[in-house]
Amino acid sequence: MNIERDEEGGFVFSEVDPPLVAMFQAIPAAADPEGNKNALDRLFPDPAARKETRLNEEWAEYVRPELREGFENASTTVEADLAPLMAGEEGWTIPLGHVDAWLNTLNQARLVLAARYDVGEEDMNRTAPYPSENERSLAVSQIHVYGLLQECLLQGMEE
Amino acid sequence: MNETQTETKTEVALDVPWNVVVHNDPVNLMTYVTMVFRRVFGFSKEKAEQHMMEVHQKGRSVVWTGGRERAELYVQQLHSYLLLATMERSA
Repeated sequence: MNIERDEEGGFVFSEVDPPLVAMFQAIPAAADPEGNKNALDRLFPDPAARKETRLNEEWAEYVRPELREGFENASTTVEADLAPLMAGEEGWTIPLGHVDAWLNTLNQARLVLAARYDVGEEDMNRTAPYPSENERSLAVSQIHVYGLLQECLLQGMEE
Repeated sequence: MNETQTETKTEVALDVPWNVVVHNDPVNLMTYVTMVFRRVFGFSKEKAEQHMMEVHQKGRSVVWTGGRERAELYVQQLHSYLLLATMERSA
């Protein structure tokens, strides 16, 4: 996979290997927490300890919908940027103005996958390959690949 | 007399400072957490990295202390970046 910057500072990805294409195409779906309580709890945690009942209830009513809207908007932006890849091209571009949406959606995807498959510190630090290809080991790989993409964007922003 | 005592207690409760606490999460990247601290609190790179390391090594870091409304705003911002953050009354 090649990564270059265009004249406006956007990130241009090309010659993406087929296994990575599949992982990147899966970002919007991976970021969707619906139907999984652990994932929803992680994306929308309470702001205070359980004893702060009123604060937590008001948060759920007024703040959570705003957060949800922000996450969905970021994911929609990412999905639109990925359209060329979805259409069978072997690359795509992240415009500079979309980098925040990408960082956010990649983080959503990583956290949702971790919550869905109960991925913890031990999995994140594991260096040995998993013994077999199953859904969980694929999820761990996705978390790492999305993390590398985040690192790449963060490093690019600092340059 | 009782009414005065109640009012005083209420005022004190409202004035208690709140801590904004960020908790460790094995998934969030250290570089990402550092960037968020710099953006939300305007920390220098060094200060942001200090708090990030505290979160990583000790499991939590108090990143800000002050009034409740501002604490709520900060927690909301941290949640919008998907950091695990809470607010608690300062001891």
